[in-house]
Amino acid sequence: MDTLEQFVEKFKNAVDFQDQVELTGDTNLKALAEWDSLAALGVIIMFDMEYGKAITGKDLVGCQLVSDVYKLIG
Amino acid sequence: MAQATLRNVRYAGMATCVPKRVLSNVDDCPPQMRSARERVVRNIGIETRRICSEWQYFSDLAFDATERLLAELEWERDEIDALIVVTQSPDYLIPATAIILQDRLKLKHTTIAFDVNLGCSAYAFGLHVLGSMISSGGIKKGLLLVGDKSASVIEPLFSDAGTATALEYDPDAPPMYFDLNSDGSGYQAIMLPAGGHREPFAAQHMIPTKDDDGIWRYPGALVLDGPAVLSFSTQRVPHAVRALLDYAGCGIDDIDYFIFHQANRMINETIRKKLGLPVEKVPSTLQDFGNTSGASLPVTMTARIRDALLAKKNRVLMSGFGIGLSWGSCIVDIENAVFPELIIS
Repeated sequence: MDTLEQFVEKFKNAVDFQDQVELTGDTNLKALAEWDSLAALGVIIMFDMEYGKAITGKDLVGCQLVSDVYKLIG
Repeated sequence: MAQATLRNVRYAGMATCVPKRVLSNVDDCPPQMRSARERVVRNIGIETRRICSEWQYFSDLAFDATERLLAELEWERDEIDALIVVTQSPDYLIPATAIILQDRLKLKHTTIAFDVNLGCSAYAFGLHVLGSMISSGGIKKGLLLVGDKSASVIEPLFSDAGTATALEYDPDAPPMYFDLNSDGSGYQAIMLPAGGHREPFAAQHMIPTKDDDGIWRYPGALVLDGPAVLSFSTQRVPHAVRALLDYAGCGIDDIDYFIFHQANRMINETIRKKLGLPVEKVPSTLQDFGNTSGASLPVTMTARIRDALLAKKNRVLMSGFGIGLSWGSCIVDIENAVFPELIIS
């Protein structure tokens, strides 16, 4: 299983931020301008292809922090 | 899971028509959305789309496609026994667009004509419905008209197109294989909520509200749950394609082209990678034509592999998926069929 730091790098690619952004596990998702439905699509695909895990949009709605998304790896 | 084999049905030809008006997802979007739109385009892979003129509807595109197809096939109009329209952009709620087109195309009164209400999954279902009627030999020649008028100036996904496909009875035709599925529990994932009997269109649907992006949108507009559609598509479609290959006794190497519904690049690339398909076997028209709903398979065949289809026999696996939720795939051998150039109306 990836470390949080490894996960964050993949998360950045999946969300496709417009500008460089510093993320930690404590970053609040709502503070990120690009945390939208397009980002959700990217993250769902990332979980499927990188971790072999099917997550849903509802799973992501329940997340507040980047670390909450990381925990979905299970 | 409904799997079926159709015999005695020949894929005789197909024509695709798109409107001449081209929209650029970046250049033609409101200035305040441009930066965000560039990110959207980068991910969904759709740069330009086709949109009907104000006077133009799906049935006009399908009409033009049919006229060209009949001319190139050299079929007489009184030979056509069935006309099936698969669309979610009918001219009217009632009567069926197929019956209006029966008259407009000057087909005989003994032509069977009716509509089927399906969107992105339409093509395999439509081929199966018409093919089933022809397979028994009662009907010799039939037309399948598939497509939609779903483009909007603001939203970046959908694009307009109309197509016509000709099937005919032929005892020597190779079998067609089908895998057709439905899951109505996801009906709210893609939905036009107002205008039917359960929620009639009324004054409140004409009062727009301003969204966070500064764009005014109407409450009766199309609802699209992107994450739900993506999860459905990337989970169900690879499994269904494998099931169809097994059913037909085929391997990936036996298929010349895999034609998928053009949903968006994220969905399509995930499906392709999960199935382990090489890029050259999976043509795409997302960049130029966007998501043309049920027409996207014919659009892709006409715009990307027409020369190959005209040059030799091809075994094509076609797979559509989306609104319903509904997903259907088929394997069709295509040889000596007619494929007019892309029609631009």
